Amino acid sequence: MTTFLDAASERIGSDAARRSFFDAFVAAGLPTTSDEVWRYAPLHDFSLDRFISATNVAIDDDADERSIREGASIVVTMVDGELREVSGQCEGVRVSTRLAGHDLGDRSYIERYRADAFALLNAALSPATVHISIEASVHVAMPIVIVQRAETSLAFANVRVDVGTSASATIVECWFGGSDALVVPVSEYHVAANGSLQLSSYQRLAATSWHVARTTTLLERDARMQQSVIGLGAQYDRARNDAELVGTGASNELHTTFLGSGQQVHDLRTHQFHRVGRTTSSLLSKGAVADESRSVYTGLIEIENGARRTDARQTNHNLLLSPHAHADSVPNLDIRENDVVCAHASSVGPLDEMQRWYLESRGVDRENAERLMVQGFFNEMTDVMPDSVARLVDRDVATVLARATGESA
Amino acid sequence: MSELVISGLRVRVGEKEILRGIDLTVPAGEVHVIMGPNGSGKSTLAHALTGRPGYDVIDGSVTLDGVELLELAPAERARHGLLLALQQPLEVPGVRPATMLVAAGADPATVEARIDEEARRVGLRPELLHRFLNVDLSGGERKRAEIVQMGVLRPRFVVLDEIDSGLDVDALGSVARRLQEATHEWGCGVLAITHFRRLLHELVPTAIHVVSAGRVVASGGPELAETLEEHGYEPFRQTT
Repeated sequence: MTTFLDAASERIGSDAARRSFFDAFVAAGLPTTSDEVWRYAPLHDFSLDRFISATNVAIDDDADERSIREGASIVVTMVDGELREVSGQCEGVRVSTRLAGHDLGDRSYIERYRADAFALLNAALSPATVHISIEASVHVAMPIVIVQRAETSLAFANVRVDVGTSASATIVECWFGGSDALVVPVSEYHVAANGSLQLSSYQRLAATSWHVARTTTLLERDARMQQSVIGLGAQYDRARNDAELVGTGASNELHTTFLGSGQQVHDLRTHQFHRVGRTTSSLLSKGAVADESRSVYTGLIEIENGARRTDARQTNHNLLLSPHAHADSVPNLDIRENDVVCAHASSVGPLDEMQRWYLESRGVDRENAERLMVQGFFNEMTDVMPDSVARLVDRDVATVLARATGESA
Repeated sequence: MSELVISGLRVRVGEKEILRGIDLTVPAGEVHVIMGPNGSGKSTLAHALTGRPGYDVIDGSVTLDGVELLELAPAERARHGLLLALQQPLEVPGVRPATMLVAAGADPATVEARIDEEARRVGLRPELLHRFLNVDLSGGERKRAEIVQMGVLRPRFVVLDEIDSGLDVDALGSVARRLQEATHEWGCGVLAITHFRRLLHELVPTAIHVVSAGRVVASGGPELAETLEEHGYEPFRQTT
């Protein structure tokens, strides 16, 4: 019987660059739950061999895709990581492809992701890096939309965005499909001096998929990143978001949101790395777990020695919607400089009884009061997203909640 | 005519019995004011009427047009026509006033316009009510936002828990005017809890009730306020 490794090796053939990433992947080996950073993943029933079959699965999401495309300046459609179509155009914006696995900042791909087997596998098997480049001083008024479709059992998407000096753009990315698939996206964002990027990334894959995502942001002097990451889909949803602030005055704002239902696991990891002083990062992570789902949030704030007057904040709130759901919150600090402001807060608990009573005392029945509060929990996050994605998230959240509360009733 | 009738109401909070047999009748369209020293049970009455968790009714009855409210869930009490305006309205992040009011029974087609209109009537900038419920509002703004909710929902009876504290003179005037108008517009019955007389300069009461140690110990017309002004609560004070 053909194994995943045999099939992958055959697909790579004699391509030396891909082979080096593949060798690095084999050397790193798949993680196990004895690795601290993977201890919450359901790896006991995970096998790459399960994803060899590459049968196409029809995706019936046309209406939702249309709503995401609404108001876009450019729509980039990717299928299983391959660039299929670029529609629309905008002066100063270029969409192209190149081999996956380039350097970012002062580190090579292998060096940066040497401990991340899935990111290495991505570079070995991704059809290509889809490169979106925004020229210096270009302001893209309407969002650039990336429609990501997982149609077969393997999707290795690799996206690189370069925002030029003093340029600004908004990017909306949304994942569709993913039935019984392994979806491994690697996304890299480089924002040059004075540049600004607003990014909303929404994962709404099938509940039978594995989603293992890695995002790295590099921010130069006075660059600004505002990022929203939403995860509703997948059986196992892992999103690691790193931001490296390498230029004075750089600022990173990250909002992450998830809603767990069924037996889903949402595994969210963040790393705010302040390499120089006078940089700002603010992270707000809010998630809710229903049914028998569980979540883990692990966030690290790292401040380099000499990165004076850094301001780094991290907040994580988890809502328990069922007595069988579980959430863990693990904030970490590694601060090697004294002259900084650093704060973290986290909470795990059910809906606030007094807030519920307040709504009930106005005439809102209990079920509706709870629904409003949970949707409100997410509204705080969707409030900062472009309307097209916020509407879809709101609707999906309502659908999941109706199902979760319906099942528990 | 509608009537809110409270009889023999006894309420315990934790181990302590706070209300020890309250009897009170408020007919529709009238303004009744409850006054009393700190700790007399005024706010407990307001919260017990709406079924706040932790307020255990051990005896008595509260009926609105003959329907026993104490047997109803908090939302059903409100739907039946009893609304509480809180002393410290709660923040509910992520929930907009319009969404909440629609869920509470307001007409979705007109709710936004009604909120704006009611906001203007109590001197509140309407845009403050386009954000999330009570989030980032000052204490005084929250009080007025409660009156806006009342104006939109038009309950048969409104219970106001120290609506006057934290309001400046102008805001108090506009809130009192709105309440007075509510008594005419839809015959709203008002039960206002306060321990400041200044509310009575603006809101003309039909009756004043003095509560001490969990009971109504005196009832009378507006002239009762003058007695309180002159002698304080001492002549009415009872011990538990």
